[in-house]
Amino acid sequence: MTRPPAAGRRTSPRIVLVHTATFRQARQFVPALIPVLAATGLGGGTTTVIALAVGVTLLSLSTAALSWWRFTYADGPTSVVVTRGLLSRSVRTVPNDRIRGVEVEAPLLHRLFGLVRVRIDAAAGAVNGKDEELVVDGVPREEGDRLRTAVLTHRATDTPRADGEPETADFARFDNRWLLYAPLVGSYLAVPLAAVGALFRLAQELPESLRPQLDGPELSDVHVLVLAVVAALVLLTAGSVIGAAVVNWGFRLTRRGGSLIATRGLVTRRHTELEIDRIRGWALSEGLGMRRVGAARSTALVTGLGDAARRGQLLPLGPRAEGRALGARLVEEPGPLVTHPPAARRRRIVRALAAGLAVTTAGLIVGPLLGWWWVPAAGVALIVLGVPVGLGRYAALGHAAGPGSFSVRSGWLVREQAVLQRRAVVGWQVRQSPFQRRAGLATVVACVGAGKGGYAAIDMAAAEVARFTAAASGGWASDLAPRRRSAPGSFRNRPVARPSPGPGT
Amino acid sequence: MTAAPPPVREPAWPLSRSAIGLWVTEGIIGSVFLGIAATLFAVFVPSDAPAPWPLLRWLVPLAVVGYAVVVIGIRPWIRFRVHRWEVTGEAVYTLTGWLTRTWTLVPISRIQTVDVTRGVLQQIFGLSTVAVMTASSQGTVQVWHLEADVAQRVADDLAHRAEQVRDQAT
Repeated sequence: MTRPPAAGRRTSPRIVLVHTATFRQARQFVPALIPVLAATGLGGGTTTVIALAVGVTLLSLSTAALSWWRFTYADGPTSVVVTRGLLSRSVRTVPNDRIRGVEVEAPLLHRLFGLVRVRIDAAAGAVNGKDEELVVDGVPREEGDRLRTAVLTHRATDTPRADGEPETADFARFDNRWLLYAPLVGSYLAVPLAAVGALFRLAQELPESLRPQLDGPELSDVHVLVLAVVAALVLLTAGSVIGAAVVNWGFRLTRRGGSLIATRGLVTRRHTELEIDRIRGWALSEGLGMRRVGAARSTALVTGLGDAARRGQLLPLGPRAEGRALGARLVEEPGPLVTHPPAARRRRIVRALAAGLAVTTAGLIVGPLLGWWWVPAAGVALIVLGVPVGLGRYAALGHAAGPGSFSVRSGWLVREQAVLQRRAVVGWQVRQSPFQRRAGLATVVACVGAGKGGYAAIDMAAAEVARFTAAASGGWASDLAPRRRSAPGSFRNRPVARPSPGPGT
Repeated sequence: MTAAPPPVREPAWPLSRSAIGLWVTEGIIGSVFLGIAATLFAVFVPSDAPAPWPLLRWLVPLAVVGYAVVVIGIRPWIRFRVHRWEVTGEAVYTLTGWLTRTWTLVPISRIQTVDVTRGVLQQIFGLSTVAVMTASSQGTVQVWHLEADVAQRVADDLAHRAEQVRDQAT
């Protein structure tokens, strides 16, 4: 694959039209323009409106054209260089071995013009935020695919590539019937709620004359009330299903060579690539509602992946069995989970009751003084609710260690089970509060350079800790095991450091 | 129910005794600031304020005094008895905390960076902190309050050995 040396390439000029239409660059001038316009005084009349529209469009066009003109990118053999900036030039060079992934996405407008947006995810160390990405916005589809393969080939020196495309195999496919689970998932339910909120804001901003004169419906009528509630529920359900469909439409996971490629989206097609080599495990999460119907989502835990929750998705929504099977194809499950001792159940219940007890006590003190009788009542209600919550939290707890992997599970509102390879562990943290000490429990956190960074086995039997850590990671963890008392000594008089042989896995 | 044996082994080496002095100093500074805040509170709350305020006027100074006694007179010694650290053949191992105890073990092969930091107070007491970073945001080991020269040697030793046994480190 030979190419002219890193001469700057340009994005397609067609992107200027897209950006003009979306006011991408001109958007930042809007806050500055509003006071200016207000100061000059806006007379009514059609002319002003047309002049305004033309002016804004011209402004948008010129800024879009300028930034297109000033933007070049080059993918060299060792790094990707992006040059941009209207007044101050900025040149960003990202070495190829720092590139963690490439995402090609095609929003609706881009698709109309046959363009795509390429996001290059660069490991920028501990600095997080949007700056981790290089965005090359608006290249033709073929160029986007070329860029993706070029960048990934340069980086992945270990992926054997014969000629052309390596074999592609289907890994998973989304069944549209699974969209029906969406109303039970909190994040999808939030979609229609946000839409309604936005609508209300818009309505508030409309000039008084344009607002339809609606009298509030007579809520006193029971029929109307019931009807309104039912309508709201139907809308909410439909909205969440539509929201889930927009994001997940046609979700497909394919395996090509050493990577997993996920494509999805109805309006914006996204194309995400995960290196299988970097996958350390997977997590299966089931929300409270999803558990009722046996639904789950599963996510790959990938080292050094920005925005992992979105990019690492293996199954955005589907039957639990499907999610499990999918994960197990990447990292085998270690076997059935070991439940935690009864002391852990007591502890969960006590903790779940604590809030209710505190409110009740406070209510009994303050209530008579101020006449707030609802405070202790709410406290009692919290206590009653606390029991099933505590039991549910206990039921979620579990851990297991198998030959190649280990697993921990916890959570009630969202129950999450993580299955991780032994080599994923970069450290162990064992925590014990005074209460745990008395109950003979301890919380063990497996520190992992992927996903959330740490996965905890909450309240496991203290006596089990050393065995579990040794079984779930490399031999180095045997340092945790209680052993014959060695001479205390100190770092000053300890023998010369001997380098341990081989990698400590 | 008596105290059960710890879930895992204790690291072998204690911290420098100067750490107690440092913690006491930190406690004094914290208490002074809280004392100032409590005094301001007592000054600015009018004496004829309604229901819960008179009670608070008594409770706040009491709480501050209690806090000062704990952080100056008790916590430094408990901490010194609890805190331990060790560098074994394959890992860095620490135990920290005073009520809740935290054992952290990080294998040398997964170390990404080793930092030595010296805060202002630490410099007065001739102490340093060695921070060992891994790929995990939660897998950071900090060995607090070692004598400066020991800390430097530990850091050099760890960095050197990490270089030799490093695998993918993630």
